[in-house]
Amino acid sequence: MRIYEVFLKADGKEEFRHAGSIEAPTDELALVLARENYARRAEGTRMWVVDRKNICVSEEGFIDANLNKSHRHNDGERVAKWRKSQRNKKSDD
Amino acid sequence: MIKSVLPSAIKEYLLAFADDEHLMGQQHTEWIGIAPFLEEDMAFASIGQDELGHASMLYALILEDSSEIDAFIFNRKPEEWRSCQLVESNHRNWEEALIRHWCYDMAEDLRWELFRESSLAELVLISERALKEEKYHRQHADALVENLLTVPASKSRLMKALEEIVPEVVELFSSIPGETEAISSGLVSGKYCDVFSTWRLRVENRFGTLDPKLFTTSHHQSRIKRHSDFAPLYGRIREVFLLDPKAVW
Repeated sequence: MRIYEVFLKADGKEEFRHAGSIEAPTDELALVLARENYARRAEGTRMWVVDRKNICVSEEGFIDANLNKSHRHNDGERVAKWRKSQRNKKSDD
Repeated sequence: MIKSVLPSAIKEYLLAFADDEHLMGQQHTEWIGIAPFLEEDMAFASIGQDELGHASMLYALILEDSSEIDAFIFNRKPEEWRSCQLVESNHRNWEEALIRHWCYDMAEDLRWELFRESSLAELVLISERALKEEKYHRQHADALVENLLTVPASKSRLMKALEEIVPEVVELFSSIPGETEAISSGLVSGKYCDVFSTWRLRVENRFGTLDPKLFTTSHHQSRIKRHSDFAPLYGRIREVFLLDPKAVW
């Protein structure tokens, strides 16, 4: 048995979202079982199942926030303020 | 051309299909919580619910009023059922349940196909809907069986179950009450037993050549007499209903 991760996509512009995982012996059975376990109430229009061993997993801490670099956490507020003042200056001219 | 009030022979014909679907659905859903692994017990019960859905569409057609379905199912005398032995018999081992699922669903699409050009417009729609689901039922059954046949111990259990169940399928295809009228009125395009050879081909393509005698043995009951396993099965179906038959659900 292998473990598969199941992703479903709702109709329209929605992106694929993780729905859960499933245990199955083959790719085909993973699809068939995921259909009955995760999509029997029309939860989506498309489905992916991915063998968990094919997912590249980062090591712990790999994407922790680097809090000592405040310039990386700019929320754009200062730039927006500056641009607004520039616009106002232009219209005053 | 069939009008909305169906002749009794046609109702009998549809009832045989509805009762088969209902009991097959019931038998599958009884595996919830006890199938070999979690994913499979959910899937098997979900497939069973699809069959119950097919049954209820057919019952609604027969009764002309879907609000009467419950009363019709829970209050019928055993001799008024038209189900076949295959769906009534008590196959309590997983290999038997799986083989029955495989055998039944490999036969079911062939049955719905007969309605594709039915003179009854509702039946054409119902069959289209059912056929869409049946494709995945067959895929589920066949993928599991294909996998298990590669394991010698599983294979011998499956083959033993197959030899027990194939003769019961023979009766599924034959002796459907009202079939002559169903064909002459254009309800169906032909006799169900005429596509038995297609079913047999599917069996032998998947499991190899079997003893030809298996395909000719029928426990002929003509769908009038009930299997001895019917009474306990019907008891389980009515268990909750009988707690308070007058309750409004």
